Amino acid sequence: MKRDKNLPLTETVYYILLALVEPAHGYLIMQKVGELSGGQVKMAAGTLYGAIENLGKQKLIQPVQSEDSRRKVYVITSRGAELLRLDFERMQQMIEVTKGILK
Amino acid sequence: MRVFKFFINLNKEEKWLNEMAKQGYSLSKKSCGYEFTPIKTEYAAIKMDYRRFKKQEDFEDYCALFEDSGWQHIAGTKHSGYQYFKKADESGTEDIFSDVPSKAGRYKRLSNMWIGLAAFYIPIFAAFVAVGFIELAPLLDPKSLYLTPGLWEESGAAFWGAFLFETPFALFRGALFALFPIMIMLFLIFAFKANKYYQSAQSD
Repeated sequence: MKRDKNLPLTETVYYILLALVEPAHGYLIMQKVGELSGGQVKMAAGTLYGAIENLGKQKLIQPVQSEDSRRKVYVITSRGAELLRLDFERMQQMIEVTKGILK
Repeated sequence: MRVFKFFINLNKEEKWLNEMAKQGYSLSKKSCGYEFTPIKTEYAAIKMDYRRFKKQEDFEDYCALFEDSGWQHIAGTKHSGYQYFKKADESGTEDIFSDVPSKAGRYKRLSNMWIGLAAFYIPIFAAFVAVGFIELAPLLDPKSLYLTPGLWEESGAAFWGAFLFETPFALFRGALFALFPIMIMLFLIFAFKANKYYQSAQSD
């Protein structure tokens, strides 16, 4: 099977998509990415804003209705979820094959 | 206090603003020049981004994200491009960017803005030349900027009197003709410089 050209996802993109399985606004995404990565990935505001903008352009995430008038809320799209799953499988393959070799 | 200064390099601008803050002057507004207010509080880091917004709600969302993460938006508007942030508390990150490509990206946006500005003025300039509002001839032949009949055939005091009298007017006419080409050249130079900073920032 031909691999999707967006793969592999970068670590930050992977965690942002994972965070957006449930809707969240910018700062909540930032906190979730920190938590999900066990404190390994700390994103600053300017970097996160640019990443959100890019993912929106690629239609991997989309804005949803928000009760907060100032903060936009985003959620993953079906295309985003598909990519996330493909990258997860890619990494699983890497883990399996590595397990067999590095004991 | 108001200070007039012009930067293309965002890193140099940040450095200058942080030095001003160390001396007790905090940036409070940027419109025509930089406006500073004296501060007593201890030194706080100032960081810059370059970003323009189409919609007011996008700008609000952008500012909210920075404020939530401990960076107070101190100057800049929806269209200004230049955005200034001050570290509001200790909890925030060290910088407003956490990786090299995104920090370099602001120079790309800055460079695109200068190119856009040049691209905006080039057709206007071309149209003015086409309809004869701006003539290119005077740039090559400055004598034609003097309109006094027979001026160049005069000599002695009569020539100098008429020549000096008309020089300010000629300069004004010449400046009008030269204004557009000079502006367009400057914008392209700024775009080129910003793009150079973009390339060097990427390899930092």
